[in-house]
Amino acid sequence: MPPIIEISGLRKTYSRAFRQPHNALDGLDMEVAAGQVHGFLGPNGSGKTTTLRALLGLIRVDGGDMRIFGEEVPRRLPQVVSRIGAVVESPQFFKHFSGRLTLQLLAESAGVPRSRVEEVLEQVGLKDAAKAAVKGYSLGMRQRLAVAQALLKQPQLLILDEPANGLDPAGIHHMRELLQWLAHSQGVTVVVSSHLLSEVQQLCDSMTIVSRGRRIVDGKVADIIAGHSSASLSVRFPDAASLPEAVEALTGAAPDLTAAVDRDRLVVTGAPEPAWVTKTLADAGIYLSELVTETKNLESVFLELTGTAPVPGRTVQIGQSVEVPQAAPGGVAIDVQAEGVER
Amino acid sequence: MNLFKAELRRLARRRLSLVFGILAVAGVVGLTAIMWATSSQGPDEGQLAEAQAQADQWNEDNPDYGDCLEDEGFFEENANYAWAVEDSAYADMSHEERCEFYVGGMTAEDFIYTYTFSFENEGSYMLIGVAIVAGLIMMMLASSAIGAEWSSGGMSNLMVWHPHRMKVWGAKLGAALAVCAAAVAGVVVLAFGLLYLTAAVRGEVGDLDGVWWEATLERLGRTGLLTLGMTALGASLAMLGRHTAIAGGVIAGYLIIGDMLVQITSMSLPVDYPERFSLYTWVMAWISGKIELYNWNSSGMEMTPDVMVITATDAGLLLGGIVVLFGALATWAFQRRDAA
Ligand SMILES: Nc1ncnc2c1ncn2[C@@H]1O[C@H](COP(=O)(O)OP(=O)(O)OP(=O)(O)O)[C@@H](O)[C@H]1O
Ligand SMILES: [Mg+2]
Repeated sequence: MPPIIEISGLRKTYSRAFRQPHNALDGLDMEVAAGQVHGFLGPNGSGKTTTLRALLGLIRVDGGDMRIFGEEVPRRLPQVVSRIGAVVESPQFFKHFSGRLTLQLLAESAGVPRSRVEEVLEQVGLKDAAKAAVKGYSLGMRQRLAVAQALLKQPQLLILDEPANGLDPAGIHHMRELLQWLAHSQGVTVVVSSHLLSEVQQLCDSMTIVSRGRRIVDGKVADIIAGHSSASLSVRFPDAASLPEAVEALTGAAPDLTAAVDRDRLVVTGAPEPAWVTKTLADAGIYLSELVTETKNLESVFLELTGTAPVPGRTVQIGQSVEVPQAAPGGVAIDVQAEGVER
Repeated sequence: MNLFKAELRRLARRRLSLVFGILAVAGVVGLTAIMWATSSQGPDEGQLAEAQAQADQWNEDNPDYGDCLEDEGFFEENANYAWAVEDSAYADMSHEERCEFYVGGMTAEDFIYTYTFSFENEGSYMLIGVAIVAGLIMMMLASSAIGAEWSSGGMSNLMVWHPHRMKVWGAKLGAALAVCAAAVAGVVVLAFGLLYLTAAVRGEVGDLDGVWWEATLERLGRTGLLTLGMTALGASLAMLGRHTAIAGGVIAGYLIIGDMLVQITSMSLPVDYPERFSLYTWVMAWISGKIELYNWNSSGMEMTPDVMVITATDAGLLLGGIVVLFGALATWAFQRRDAA
């Protein structure tokens, strides 16, 4: 099955007065396979919203190709738009209309039956607030309304820009169930951009991570995390005084291993396996009281890949990734040295 | 078509539409009330008698007038009135008229202020005025409907649904024009009914013959076209400025300050017919069918000035050109620019 969304070499440059033009998208590539929940991740200002806008024909791009359902967009967008439901950026509506009227006008304009309005209001949990004017909605309610309008035409492709933004835990849980149900039992392809990494980890099947307008990595969420969890070991001793000895013993036995002292524990990376550590230390006459394998979560992978890991005593400015690793052609196989990322 | 219907409904459901609708109807009713109160078909007997008494009183207090009436040779004998005798109109008047005219006598009519609203003479001007005010309201409504949608972000949302931008623009413009046509026609018909009734009851209808109907309908038709043009202009400006305030500011700014500046500069420049630089001149020419500008400078001491005639066709070309220009600019900008 061909990808639902294919983007290659997408460029968007904003010219700025008295300053260098700014490349919001700098040759971005992206593919989204059918029937999946695809996460679209990146630091602030990395071009996620810009990509989605370009995909929906809201802005003109300066280069690159985009296809949705195999059709070239934005040229052929009118032909495929009836199969796409989307929310871009913080959802905005005319403030004085009620939620229901907002949806009804959209439904009417595209020939969607009226009954769908009530269905989606029910689906996103806005039934009781449907009569109230949008100006009285909370952020989460607006977000739900936005998702409702995206669902209105029973799309085969759902594009949501930060749908979890402003939702309460119950709302997030509900949204996750809804999106997964849509993808896995209705065959809808869902693209969500998000900052909530734990959320992406739970929600998405695959993902694309971008930074500074370029793809850094893409693939299955589990694969990406696994590919970067050069698992580290946290070792504790009954007596903190044995820490320096332990470092010596370990590095002496395996030179390319790193062992860093972190308060009262030792963080070991690059060790062949936990049993080896236990044995080496025991051989040196040091006995440990605790040994834990720390698998990395998406957050550390993300920080590492996008180069936005916090540096003590410095704030990272928008678009100032410490360093952007070169995009690997088509996959996960990137090897990034993971130093100083723990903690 | 669906989109057009949805846009119509969107316009109709706006609160501003309701407010403006109420204002327009209230304006027409208010105008009627004023005409109703000020117009009368003539004084009744009591008023006439009272006025006569006032006039008599005045004449009594003014001895010259009494003397004049009594003395046929008043003007010839009185050196103070020698100027009156030399007046060209003097010879054609009867003695009584002379006394009234030159000495200043009062009659009952001078103390009765009756105004009779004549539908035949004033009705069509009022209807044109009502139509223009309705058109201004529609211009504001159209620009606010589009401007508010841009600034609220609703426009981007709509464009996600309808990527064909020209269809969106067409539907919005079409809906605004349709509502404008309906609103102006409705208000004019309402005003016609109420003013006709007022004239019939409190004034005089006059002779609404074929000529009257033809002239009135012709002017009203052109005024109607003008209101459509204004609505399209308001919509285009809002599309260009993407904000109601910008569109409103440009229009109000031009009509008030811009036109004043144009007039001041053209006055200080040695050009003929400075009025032709004012938009109002062209609007007047469009509505009334023809306007004549006079140039007194060139003819020096002669009493016949040069005349510049602006016909409705000229005015239509200019005003239509302005509307088309802004419409094209708005279309071009909407087609090309990024939607924020
Ligand atoms: N209209 C615009 N004019 C100028 N620059 C813009 C414009 N829109 C976006 N940009 C720039 O493009 C870059 C990408 O912005 P974008 O909104 O796509 O980021 P994002 O990934 O969605 O960020 P966030 O996570 O904060 O939503 C930013 O550096 C931003 O400054
Ligand atoms: Mg964004």
